[in-house]
Amino acid sequence: MSGAARSTGWRRSLSRPWLWAALVAALTLAAALLAWAGGPEQITRLFVRHDGTWAAMQARGTWRVGLDPSFPPFEMLDEAGNPVGYDVDLARRIAETWGLDVEIVALGFDSLLDAVQAGRIDSVVSALPYDPRVTREIAYSSPYFEAGVRLAVRAGSPITGVAGLDGTAVAVEWGSMSDMVGRRLQREGSALELVPYASADEAAAALADDPAIDALLADNVTLRQAQGQGAAVIAAGPALESNAYVIASARQATVLHENIEQALATLRAGGVLDELEDRWFGAAASSP
Amino acid sequence: MGHHQLTSEAERRGLHGLIRNGLSRRTLAIIVAAVVLLVIAGWLIYRLRDPSVALGPQRSVETINPKMGVHTRLTDEVEPWKIKRTLEMVREMGAPWIVEYFPWAYIEPRKGQYNWNHTDEVIQHANRQGLTVIARLGYVPEWARPKETTPLYLGEERFADFGSFAAEFVARYAGQVEYVILWNEPNLALEWGYEAVDPAKYVEMLRVVYPMIKAANPQVQVLAGALAPTLAPPGSEWGMNDLDYLQRMYDGGAADYFDILAIHAYGWYSEPDEPAAADVVNYRRSELLREVMVRNGDGHKPAMITEGGWNDHPRWTRAVRPGQRIAYTVRAYEIALEEWPWMEAVAFWAFRYPWDAKSYQDYFTFVDTEFEPKPIYEEVQRYSQGRYAQETRP
Repeated sequence: MSGAARSTGWRRSLSRPWLWAALVAALTLAAALLAWAGGPEQITRLFVRHDGTWAAMQARGTWRVGLDPSFPPFEMLDEAGNPVGYDVDLARRIAETWGLDVEIVALGFDSLLDAVQAGRIDSVVSALPYDPRVTREIAYSSPYFEAGVRLAVRAGSPITGVAGLDGTAVAVEWGSMSDMVGRRLQREGSALELVPYASADEAAAALADDPAIDALLADNVTLRQAQGQGAAVIAAGPALESNAYVIASARQATVLHENIEQALATLRAGGVLDELEDRWFGAAASSP
Repeated sequence: MGHHQLTSEAERRGLHGLIRNGLSRRTLAIIVAAVVLLVIAGWLIYRLRDPSVALGPQRSVETINPKMGVHTRLTDEVEPWKIKRTLEMVREMGAPWIVEYFPWAYIEPRKGQYNWNHTDEVIQHANRQGLTVIARLGYVPEWARPKETTPLYLGEERFADFGSFAAEFVARYAGQVEYVILWNEPNLALEWGYEAVDPAKYVEMLRVVYPMIKAANPQVQVLAGALAPTLAPPGSEWGMNDLDYLQRMYDGGAADYFDILAIHAYGWYSEPDEPAAADVVNYRRSELLREVMVRNGDGHKPAMITEGGWNDHPRWTRAVRPGQRIAYTVRAYEIALEEWPWMEAVAFWAFRYPWDAKSYQDYFTFVDTEFEPKPIYEEVQRYSQGRYAQETRP
């Protein structure tokens, strides 16, 4: 192509209005992006992953974890007033994998998620149930403990699940979620008799000690505590009403969230979660 | 030249061509028929998608305790079948009274322009289920308050606007709604638009709104107060002790501007028979509010509990065990029936939420969001049927 022809092509291009319109649109878009993001640095952050929470943790050398120390054995205060429990240990074991220390911030249970969103803490590790409605601002880890309602029987019982409950006497804490699940099973046709107790602990003790009781419906925290105290009772089947405990962080803390997931996977694979459960609840009876 | 030819061809074939060249009668008839068919199809689709549900037959509440009630939470419940199911379940539980919130801002989003659709739905279904509605009114629309104020702020210059809305409400629902509550917990700064709480200003609001309501519908009974039970110390920025606030209401001349005192009676961790004391928040604090009424010459008026009850959250510090909550709730209904002749109704918070709050609030409810009855629902139902305690209580 000759120089004259090339020049003519350029001129023809410049005379096309759509080209000018596209150029103006592109410039307008760039200006709008700059204005919206607040500057070139911010635009860079839009395209290069940046987690301010994780960066602040590295600078501080600590993972700032919020919890409400009023829920043993997950979190409580020892005689010296220091927070202890399953969640405290779990946070420390996770932080160890990152080479960080843990800084515990004690807060009321209902203000924990607000504290994450406000940036006062990095994460919540406080027997926090997964909340499917609060996911726009909060990122949850995979569950590390299932605290939902479970069916339990004495070790050696022929009952292996809810299908075998016809004609049985099932202990529950009166009015509790376990009672609600038991009444649901009755409505669905199960011919079980619910035997109400004033507390979950009494219901669990009845299963261990009273031969007239065949099974127990209780949350898994109660069940594990009973097992840890020596009751020869075991879970039969999966949770009937899930209540999974998870770790919560701010949605934008993407690197932190990924690292929590990796750490949990490592700890789970290495048997650390089982070890923590045995430490804080006591060992469970083995299956029949 | 070629480009021009293509454009002309397209125009001849397209709408421009039709317009330019004129429509044949046949084409015009086809277009009109198509439009008519589209309109009919659209109307049918709209009717099929109309979520209204039949009211069903007139029902009545069967109960051994006609004072039983609950505070429903239908304000944000958009699905009519859920409104109906909620009210059916209230009736089936044996509670003849409901308190429901009707936000002014939702009903009159622009001055003088009303949208009654949701309110009609709730009140018609409640009436059909045989329930008596106590309507809580409040929540200020944007047009009736300064910018950067909350919907719980009501300036004195807007009292008459609130009165107009309340008058429209009671006139529209004459014969269907006979009780209205004016405002909620005005003794808390949060509920008073984050202004310093001011009993005199609240009384001034009653002084403006009460006669407007009575002029629109003289049969309506106006409830006032609905004070939050609180031990806030004098001068607190958060609120005023409810006993002090009520006395200040009387000092301001409130007695002439309400017919029934609305009471909030939360038991927190105390049993319902724990004696009342000025420095304790418990169920029988209602008796202290009653004493203030009597002391101020208002003993002839009744009271109604329009919020209250117990919570059984496993971790909330003011909660009780689930079994305690059942026992306390039933006993509280009994106390109102057997000991408090001046108490007309006891509506506990809250029957059901449209969605989980995922906090301790969920543990105030009687049924879950999916309408599964909690054990407390079934035990209260047994009580209303005279079958409580012997069958399942530990």
